[in-house]
Amino acid sequence: MSTLQDTGRWPAITTTLVVAFLLVLLPWRGGLLDVRPDFLLVVGLFWVLHSPERVGFALLFALGLLTDFLDGVVLGQHALAYVVGAYLVLQLRLRLLRFDPVRQAVQMLPVFLALQLVVFLVGWLVVRPPEGLMMFVPVILHALLWFGLAWWMLLGRPHRRAGRM
Amino acid sequence: MVVPGQLSYVRRLGATSRLALWSALAAAVIWMDVRVGALEGVRGALALAVSPVQHAMRVPADLAREIAGFLTRHHALQRERDALLAERARYRLVEQAADELSRENAELRALLRQAQRREIAALTAGRLFQGRDWFSQTLILDRGASAGVRAGMPVIDGEGLLGQITRVYATQSELTLVASAEQLTPVMNARTGQRGLAAGLGNGRMELRFMPSQSDVVEGDVLLTSGLDGIYPAGLPVATVTRIGRPSASPYLRIDCVPVAGIDRSRQVLVLQLPASREQP
Repeated sequence: MSTLQDTGRWPAITTTLVVAFLLVLLPWRGGLLDVRPDFLLVVGLFWVLHSPERVGFALLFALGLLTDFLDGVVLGQHALAYVVGAYLVLQLRLRLLRFDPVRQAVQMLPVFLALQLVVFLVGWLVVRPPEGLMMFVPVILHALLWFGLAWWMLLGRPHRRAGRM
Repeated sequence: MVVPGQLSYVRRLGATSRLALWSALAAAVIWMDVRVGALEGVRGALALAVSPVQHAMRVPADLAREIAGFLTRHHALQRERDALLAERARYRLVEQAADELSRENAELRALLRQAQRREIAALTAGRLFQGRDWFSQTLILDRGASAGVRAGMPVIDGEGLLGQITRVYATQSELTLVASAEQLTPVMNARTGQRGLAAGLGNGRMELRFMPSQSDVVEGDVLLTSGLDGIYPAGLPVATVTRIGRPSASPYLRIDCVPVAGIDRSRQVLVLQLPASREQP
């Protein structure tokens, strides 16, 4: 169980983030570089879980920009992924805090996978953009169609809608 | 005021609206960087701030290598030294012949009233850091604008062309490797003289594009820079042909190559300071 009322968290937060930063700056190369963990992301998300009143979207955004710069990629690529990560951890927060470390790790696995996909998607859109960004127009149309269907569903059952209000 | 047990973010905006806000900001940053190119100043400032730490973090790895090498590699070093001495003697001869030839060449060019070939200056740089980009392969070198590095300059190691400088900061610069995805290098087959275009595929491989299926290319052919683009000087080894495929659906051969330069081995590289270098289009 996390102890939110702790006020002396900043030293621990700063120290772990600095250590993560230094680890990233080691001269990784070759195969090791490919499998190097994203230390800043893991430590950042850990503090979002345990100290959400101090570490949140803003800090994770900044850490993401730092990673973008260090990797020499488009600025914003990791920033977006880290922000999504902070959101997912906040959504899963109550679940995660009840879990033991093993279950927490297993629960975080799909989160990290999702973040890697965000990084991949942004990089792909930037390096090899498909013909325009028209492929995202249908997404909005899907949402509109969904609205239409949901509305049509409500038409036949006015009583249920009234009951909800 | 932080109420124990109650999260402050609950009292402000909900997590979802904050996600939307920060995502929009991230998208704006991406757009600014890619389409407007307005964030190079930010990169420059970050480079200045981070570069001392990068230099410092290179020390542990170097130290470990030094210690490991000191104990185990004495014999290997002696052998390498003997080989290098022999090689130097051989190069002496070649150098004399080359001096003779360049003198002769200068006279001939003078006779033909052609412009003299210009000298190429070079400066050494060390690899400082390698970032992880899944879409292109880049290296950070420890020399920058203050040492005379400019965007577009070619970079070589002892074996061949490594790549091209793509970003320059005050004290460091970014090198995009020839095998980086979509990096194009005009080349010439050393055996036949046929010209072509080598393109990086990412993950350390390249392909030679647009060679008609009747072309004379065999496995093991060495590709040199052709010098046609005015960016790379002619005659630098770029890649070796490893496999040739003949797809029936295409009028061109599918030719796989690997770069010659030791991307993972070389620690010191040479940045060639060409007279009028341009960035790759």
